[in-house]
This record gives sequence, structure tokens and C-alpha cells, in this order.
Amino acid sequence: MAPPPAPPQKSPSPSQPSGKSEVSDLKLQLRQLAGSRAPGADDSKRDLFKRVISYMTVGIDVSAAFSEMVMCSATSDIVLKKMCYLYVGNYARCHPDLALLTINFLQKDCHDEDPMIRGLALRSLCSLRVPNLVEYLVAPLGAGLKDGSSYVRMVAAVGVLKLYHISAATCLDSDFPAMLKSLMLTDPDAQVVANCLFVLQEIWNLEANKSEEASRERETILSKKIVYYLLNRIKEFNEWAQCLVLELVAKYIPSDTDDIFDIMNLLEDRLQHANGAVVLATIKVFLHLTMSMTDVHQQVYERIKAPLLTLVGSGSSEQSYAVLSHLHLLVMRAPMLFSSDYKHFYCQFSDPSYVKKLKLEMLTAIANESNTYEIVTELCEYAGNVDVPIARESIRAVGKIALQQYDVNAIVDRLLQFLEMEKDYVTAETLVLVKDLLRKYPQWSHDCIAVVGNISSKNVQEPKAKAALIWMLGEYSQDMPDAPYILESLIENWDEENAAEVRLHLLTAAMKCFFKRPPETQKALGAALAAGLADSHQDVHDRALFYHRLLQYDVSVAEHVVNPPKQAVSVFADTQSSEIKDRVFDEFNSLSVVYQKPSYMFTDKEHREPFEFSEEIGNLSLGQESVGNAPRYDESDKDLLLSTSEREENGGPSTNGPAASGYSAPTDYNSSLVSLSSQTQSEMAISDPGMPKYTSQMTLAIDDLLGLSVSAAPAPPSLKLNPKAALDPGTFQRKWGQLAVSISQDCSVSPQGVAALTTPQALIRHMQTSCIQCIASGGQSPNFKFFFFAQKLDGPPSFFLVECIVNTSSAKAQVKIKADDATASEVFFGLFQSALSKFGVL
Amino acid sequence: MLQCIFFLSDSGEVMLEKQMTGHRVDRSICAWFWDYVLSQGGDPSKILPVIASPTHYLFQLFRDGIIFLACTQVEMPPLMGIEFLRRVADVLTDYLGGLNEDLIKDNFIIVYELLDEMMDNGFPLTTEPNILREMITPPNIVSKMLSVVTGKISNVSTRLPDATASCIPWRKTNMKHASNEVYVNLVEEMDAVFSRDGALVKCEIYGEVQVDSHLPGLPDLTLSFANPSILNDMRFHPCVRFRPWESDQILSFVPPDGEFKLMTYRVKKLKSTPIYVKPQLTSDTGNCHINVLVGIRNDPGKTIDSITVQFQLPFCVASANLTSNHGTVNILADKTCSWSIGQIPKDKSPSLSGNLVLETGLDRLHVFPVFQVGFKIMGVALSGLQIHKLDIKNAPSQPYKGFRALTQAGEYEVRS
Repeated sequence: MAPPPAPPQKSPSPSQPSGKSEVSDLKLQLRQLAGSRAPGADDSKRDLFKRVISYMTVGIDVSAAFSEMVMCSATSDIVLKKMCYLYVGNYARCHPDLALLTINFLQKDCHDEDPMIRGLALRSLCSLRVPNLVEYLVAPLGAGLKDGSSYVRMVAAVGVLKLYHISAATCLDSDFPAMLKSLMLTDPDAQVVANCLFVLQEIWNLEANKSEEASRERETILSKKIVYYLLNRIKEFNEWAQCLVLELVAKYIPSDTDDIFDIMNLLEDRLQHANGAVVLATIKVFLHLTMSMTDVHQQVYERIKAPLLTLVGSGSSEQSYAVLSHLHLLVMRAPMLFSSDYKHFYCQFSDPSYVKKLKLEMLTAIANESNTYEIVTELCEYAGNVDVPIARESIRAVGKIALQQYDVNAIVDRLLQFLEMEKDYVTAETLVLVKDLLRKYPQWSHDCIAVVGNISSKNVQEPKAKAALIWMLGEYSQDMPDAPYILESLIENWDEENAAEVRLHLLTAAMKCFFKRPPETQKALGAALAAGLADSHQDVHDRALFYHRLLQYDVSVAEHVVNPPKQAVSVFADTQSSEIKDRVFDEFNSLSVVYQKPSYMFTDKEHREPFEFSEEIGNLSLGQESVGNAPRYDESDKDLLLSTSEREENGGPSTNGPAASGYSAPTDYNSSLVSLSSQTQSEMAISDPGMPKYTSQMTLAIDDLLGLSVSAAPAPPSLKLNPKAALDPGTFQRKWGQLAVSISQDCSVSPQGVAALTTPQALIRHMQTSCIQCIASGGQSPNFKFFFFAQKLDGPPSFFLVECIVNTSSAKAQVKIKADDATASEVFFGLFQSALSKFGVL
Repeated sequence: MLQCIFFLSDSGEVMLEKQMTGHRVDRSICAWFWDYVLSQGGDPSKILPVIASPTHYLFQLFRDGIIFLACTQVEMPPLMGIEFLRRVADVLTDYLGGLNEDLIKDNFIIVYELLDEMMDNGFPLTTEPNILREMITPPNIVSKMLSVVTGKISNVSTRLPDATASCIPWRKTNMKHASNEVYVNLVEEMDAVFSRDGALVKCEIYGEVQVDSHLPGLPDLTLSFANPSILNDMRFHPCVRFRPWESDQILSFVPPDGEFKLMTYRVKKLKSTPIYVKPQLTSDTGNCHINVLVGIRNDPGKTIDSITVQFQLPFCVASANLTSNHGTVNILADKTCSWSIGQIPKDKSPSLSGNLVLETGLDRLHVFPVFQVGFKIMGVALSGLQIHKLDIKNAPSQPYKGFRALTQAGEYEVRS
């Protein structure tokens, strides 16, 4: 959109043009050459073009020479042509008027006898991306799709997609998708077929929201006939096209088990392809096909293991990382399967640390009775590693293995040896682990405490480690003769202790120690409570106060509270829920796996659905994200629901009747959200006492006001808005396109409101209190633009959509309302207006 | 779908930008990326290959001082992005005879042309070097000479490659050659890890069968091994037919022209290693005595060449004084110590000894270096893989066949 930034060079070298003089110099020289037919003209043109392009490359704006470049483009030299195409493609969008100049020569080149030039010209023509030149594209594209040369057809196929992105209507009206489809099924050249498939998928995905025909077309691509046609030709495709076909097959729902085995037999050799992307795509197909057949699924794991491990071993570290991320996923799902391959996950010295980290996690996961000894031995070697973060990571890994195993005897010894290494970070990590171990296996306390007792607390600096040490001092003070005295000295240095975590643990440890050895600890406890009460940290202060009162109340009760008999922890909580893991697994061979999060957690809304935002909304920031806690909660829930329905839609053409096409029927998940929101509403009201609560009384009060202010049209008795209305941007966008404006009016904003409106978020938060949610917002003072929506509480789901442009300098707001139920929009406008007028006043 | 590719120098300067789709990616993403690199320590080779920026998802690849950065906003197979960047780097290296900032800047027109053919609208098209070479002539000396003589400088062939029309995408149909020869090379890398007490933790060989083919017409080759059963984890060039391998372990293929990797494989659980490296470190009141012995363990029958031993001195070493009785020892600024031995002499076994002075306050050494060993053995494939025979059908005359083997150290590590 924006023109390439004018020279943002950090260090301009003397050879680069510093200002306009060089550009105008170039223009002059180009103009002189434009009409020249002298023998050396092409050579000098080439030098000039090269200079122009090199300026362009370093980011200098040379668009001023546009018309001269076009004038010079009449040449038979193909390199000159290419440079010219490149230049034109780069600047046409910001000079649409000048771009018209290029059409002529590009169209002429589209009829050149050399297929290479025809193809290049067509590619450049489509890459201009100037909306008002669309009419010139249709004829060359049509001819290109029927061209005798496969190169031109291949370019034309992608050209159709470019046309679609500039003007979807022109593309569809010219019937290009149908042409592509027939080309896809008949063309002898595999690359043409692949490009057609790519383009058709893209177009139908984007169109599927808008028309039923398109979603039907999308399903036909997934039909058995087409999938088999493509699979049978798979060896003709190049590696990238193979990836594309395999992606498609992964979505295909096989009709029966024979179908599944046919496909797997056909694709088996793809597992040994030299391109890792092909291998991973094939694995995805295998995993998805066999999802419902448990025993075969297990065999698939066995089968794909070797190719994956090979991919890790050969190739660059970047590749290993991506493959390891996928292996990580599989290992986490079926650690048993990989338990004999543990040596593959040994770290090489030269592995980058991100690879080592993944490998350590996998070693941890696959450790079992048979290989623990080897793995722990290996991990212990890393503890002395030069790379400190990895050394830490491996100590943690040893600890995790210890927590998984029943026979921890040897591991505990190793851990205790770490403590003897006298390296501060090793000691720190080990202390944390020993603490966790003791929580699970209290029976080891004797061995551990003997060693831990020798550690001087002065050598432990990291808060986590210090807290762990203090916890042990408190918990096992009866076994450590020095415990009260160590605690005492720590409490003396209370003020130097920065971490609240450590101070909290000190308080508790002093308490525990007191109950076990009262005379020795009494003084220390007193000092700790006094220091705690004076502490500026709220939690520390509160805990000290709590202990203090508890002791005042009854010492034996206090002991029961602080130092009850403990049960060993059997299982530590897992950080990632199994639901999320499953979801990531469904998205195998995608970025989700690398990030270890399902895509809804990191992909922009803008791209989550096969749907493209109009430029306007796309440029605005999504308002809901940044406001408050509760909406975010709501957000992720909605996403969960959304993506499930999305998945169903992709996965099952059979279940996907026209009525069930997810987005057009948002009723289901909206209603489920309502029930959910009623649970969270009470929480929210408590958590945010500063905000006016949107109770129904409040809404009624506003309605009363309404009756006074709106004289026309007898308002319906009341309009209650759903406080937790939910609408996804896609649906909003579609509704906004479909519905007519029912009210368009200006209203004024109070001066206080103007003053309060420094950022869009302020108003968004305010409107939320009136049950009006923001879907997108943007702009800077003095102009702000918002898209709001609200939902009727009772009856069938009915939405109000609002576009609100606030100008703070004139204190006016332009409001446009569109509504599912246009009769209620008057009332809603009243509500909206009164809410807006209260902004800044409350 | 990749939206844009940037080339950055290792100082963060944008060298080249190629927009792929209508969604223009602003250059400011590079500034964000560079800030990220600096925040991660400034070494581009240590940066995650896949990064999420606030606006885009970035794939990055660091090769020979150049960062290849690709941006996307949609979900896509990660390996597609990474593999594609790898191919771009490989093809450019191939075309420009290397890869560095100056080469890219001198030849950016060719780089643009290549990127144009390799990707259209964010989807990879062809990355096969043989085909690209037919569309865009590499800037070699011959073509430069030719252009000077004839006055025509065009690195673009006016004909489209035949291969785009043939059903064997890696070979053009009518190949004519003055030479009629084919070479098969076994290139193996030995990965081995020795533990602190000298035990062999892991020993594997990663091997490649490289073929350099200059044959006319459409030759059909079959290559068989004497002992294919030792091979594991094979991956094949697309030209290899899968069935003959599966049933008889025979490689049957129509080769592309020129050099290519026919197959890669791994041989596992090897027991014998050619050389030993025995490091000894003994600490004593702020000093550490180091002694490293190198010698032949199992004689491979050919000369072991270019032996090197490299290790990183721990950061707590204040100064080091190392001497060897054979070869040269260098300590680089980043405390990497490299000892190049070359060949092992007959009369003595090379040893390196010296004293490491530890930082004050440290009594003993707690962090121990890993010794990385390098070597090269010509004429032997240490995995024991043997080529049985190579048959060529469909050839007008019997071509010359050549076989070679080479084993070198891959990740050959000795821990101490």
C-alpha cells in the first residue's frame, strides 16, 4: 500500500545517491536513449536500468523515472525487458495513472512469438495490481490460459488469482474458475495442473463464505474423482506441487478402508523423498487417514519414525528444528514408541541451543525403565556443558525424569553429585529439583538433607533456588541442626532480600521451624513477623499479619494450619492441557507445531478464516483484544467454538449440507456462549467494582430516559442487550455488507467525553458497560473510528452493527446503524446515544 | 504462502527485497527482525528459524553471512518455508559460485530473475537447478567472454527449457554431449560421540551417493550394492524408481544431467572408529594440566589426512599455554583452540600438552571442553558399503564409468 520508504538508510555510502539530483540525472539519460536506435543503445540502457534497479533495491524511491522507464521499454532484449517488468511491478501500485502507460507494451508482449516473453509479460501485467486497469487483464488472461506453451498457461493460472485479489467480481464474471477447473483436469503439464489447483483452492476458500455454489465447488475439489486423479499423477509434479496435493489429500475423507490403504500404498515412497516438506506432508496424510483406526494408526507411527529421524539427522539445523518440533509432538503422544531411539536425541556439541532444548525435552519424555540409566548418564554429561542455559535445562531434565520414575535411587545420587560441583547455577537448579523430589518422595529426605545441609546459603543467589532451600530448612528443620540459625541469619538480612517469593518462604519456614524447635526459633520468628508486617509487598505483609493473628489466637491451631502432616505429591500438574495437544496434532505440518500452540492462539483473526478483510477494517486494530480481562476470556472461548466448526466444515463434505455451512448459522455457538457468559458475569461484576454494573435495572433506567428523548415512533417497551454478546469479525464483516443502513445520524459528544477520548480503548471500555461491544477500532486524535455491535438479549439472535466516527475537535460523532431487525434500531440508537453522551461524565 | 523475501547482510542491512503477493510487506519488518536478533545476542546463526513478529511470521535462514528472511501471515507448513529458503540459498550459491554480500549485490538482476522463476504469488514453482540453468544462464566466465566478443549480453536463453514439457521433469529430452561419462562417488561422514571415560556412546555414518552424469540421450541406469542390507533411512532423488529398490535393493533411474545427490543413507551402530583422541585434564590449586593424545585405533587401510582437534576453552580459563609435539596449535580470540595435525607420523603419536590457568578464586575446573575431531580418508567408505555394479542401458556407446569414495569426520566428538 504505502510507497517504498524514502531512503531510510542508516549509513549511506558515498556511492548511493543522496538526493534527487541523481534520479533526475538518470531520467535525463533515459530520455535521451528512449528513441535511439544506435547500435550500442541497448548496452547503455542496460547500464542505466541496472542503476535504477539497484537504487530501488537499496530502498531509494526512483518512481520519478517511471515514464522514462516505460519509454525505454520498447526493446527486444529480454534482460532489459525483465528489468523493466520488475521496475514497473514495483511502482505501478503507487502510480496508477502512469501504470496505464505500461499496459500497451505489456499487452503487445503478450502476443510475442517467444513463449518466455509472453509468460513474463503476462506475469508482469497481472502483478501491476492497479484496480482500474482490470479491464485490460481479462483478454490476455483468457488467451494465456489457452496458450500453446505450458509456461504461459502456468503463468496465466496464477494470474487469475492475482486478478481475483484485485477484483473478485471481474474474475468470477469472466468465468475463469471454470476454465481453470477444466484445465486442471485435462492439461498435460503437471505444473499447470498444480497452479490451477492452488488458485482454485484459494478462490473457493475465499468465496465459500459468500456463495453456496463456491462451497460446493470447494467440496468437489475434495471429491474422490479429483483426489485420485491428482494422486495418480503425483510423480509428475515437482516437490512443491506434491506438497500442495498432499495437503489436499489430508483433508480428503476416504469412503472406506480400502480407500485408505490404496492412498497409503500409493504414497508410501513419498516418505523417502529428498524434500523434507514432502515427507512431512505425507506423514500428515497418513496420520489423518488412520485417525479412526487405532491399530493401523500405531503402525503408521512405526512407519513414519525412521523418515522423521532421518530428516533430523541430515540437513541443516533449521530443518532439524522444524522436524524436531513435529517429532516432539509425536513423542509426547506416544513416548513408548520412541524409547529405543533415545540416542537420536542426544545433543551434538554443534547443535544450536534451540535444537538442544527440544532434544532434552524429548529425552525426558521417552525415559522409561529400560533406558533411564543411559539417558541420565548422558544428561549428566551436559551439566558440565559450556552452554549454561543448556546445562541448566539438562539438570531440570534429570529432575523431571526422577519425578516420573519409580526407581529413583541412582538419580538422586546424581543430583546430589551436582550439588558437589560447586557451580552456582548447577547448585541453584539442583536445589529446586531436590525440593520437588522431596515433595514426591519424602523417604529420600535423609540422604538429601545431609547434603543440602552443607550448602552455604550465601552461595545461593537465585530466588527460586533460595526459596527451595528455605522451604527445605523449614520442612526438615528437625533433621538439620543448623536450620534455626541459618534462618535467623537470613531473616537478619531481610531488607537485602529483593524477591517477595523468598520473603514469603522465609516467613513460612520460620513458622514451621518454630513449631519443631520453639526455643531456638522464637527470636527469629519474632524478627521475621516484625519485618514482614513492615514489608511493602502486599502478599508478604498479609501473610505476616495472618501468621501473627493465628499465633495470637491459638498456637496449636496455628501449627495445624501451617504444619499439617503432608501427603506426598503423586502427580505434578501438567502445564498444557490434553485438549490443546490434540488440537495441535490436528494441525500437523503447520506453524502450530513449531509454536506448540494451536493456530487460533497466535494467528491474526484477519487470517484465521478463509476470508479477507476489506482494507478499511483490516487497518484498524481489533478493539476487543486490548480491553479488560473478561472479554478476552470470552474471546478464547469463542475461538474454540469457532475453530471446531471450522474443522468440521473442512473435514466433512458429507455432513456439510448447505444449511450447516458454519458461518452463516452462528446461532448455535452464540446461544451456548450466552449460557457461558451468565456464569462469568457475576465474576466480572465483582472483579471490577469501579465500573457501573450492567444490570437489567440499569438498562431499564436508560429505557426510561429514552422514552423522553425519542419522541418519534412509540418505542417498544424495552430493549435489553445481551451483556456478553459475541460476534466474530468475519460475520460482522458479512453482515455489514449485507444489511442496509437503518439509521445514519450525527450526535454530539460531551466536552468531558472529548477530553477522555485520548485512545480508542477509553470509549470501548465505556461502551462495554452499556453492553455495546467493539469489534474494531482505530485512528488518532482528532479522528477515531469504531465498529461496535450489540445483541438483543431475548428472542432470536438479532444484532445491531454500528459504525461510529468521532471527531474530537468538533465534538461530533457520526453514527451509522445497521440491524438485523430494523424496527428496533430506533430504540437501539437511543440507547447508543445515551451511552455515548455519558462518556466522560460518569 | 510466502508474501515477501528479504536478503539481509550480517550487519542487518537490507540487500534485496522481493514482494511476492499483493500484500506488500513493509521493510520495517527487517528492522524489527534485526532488533530481535540483537536482543538474542546478535548472532544470526543462533536465532530460531521460525519467529512470530507482531505482524508476520518469519522464516529465517543464515548462510555464509547472509540472512534469508521470508514473511507470511497465514498458516503454512513450516518446512515448506525453510526448505524453500534453503533451495534459494543453494541455487544462488550454485549460480554465483559462492555466497556473500558482494556477489549478491553484483548480481542482483540474476537474483531477481531466479526468484521470479522460483516462486510466483508466494507459491514455489521450480527449484531444480538443472531446469533453472536452462532458463537463466549462470554468469560464468564463458558467457562473459562471449558477451564481450559478440557484444550481446544476455543471460537469458530465448528458448524455454525442454524439461518443462517432458514427463521427466529433471532432464531435458534431447541431450547432446561431447563427453560420455558417469561418476559415482560415495561420500560419508562419520558421527561419533565418546563419553568422558572413553566409551563409544554413538557411532553412525551419514552417507551420500553423488552422481556426476554426462550422458547423451535418455540413459537408464541401474546401480546395485554388494551389501545393501546395512543401509538405513534412505532418501532418494526424485529420479529413483521406488519399486526396484523395494523388491531388490537396486537403484534404477534416469539421471539428471550434471551433479546430483542420488541417495542419502545412514549406517548405524558401527563399532570401529579410525582414530582415538584421549584428553586428560587434572586440576590442581588454580591450575589445570591438559594432555591430549591422538593416534590410530583401527587402520582403515588408507592414509588418514587433515586431522584436526578443536575445542573451546572454558570461560573460567584465564590463560592457556599449549604445545604439541606435532602440528600447530592456535588459540583464537573466542577461546577456541584448534590443533591441526595433518597426517599421523609413523615414528611418534602426536600429543598436545600444556597448562590452563584458571580465574582467581577457582580451585578446580568444573566445566570440561568437548573435543571436536576432523579427518578425511580418501578411497574408503568406512561404513563398508560397496558398489556392486553400474549398468547403463539406452546408451549409444558404452560410457566411461568412474567410482570414488571418501570418508570424513562429521560430528566426531570426544568429551572430557
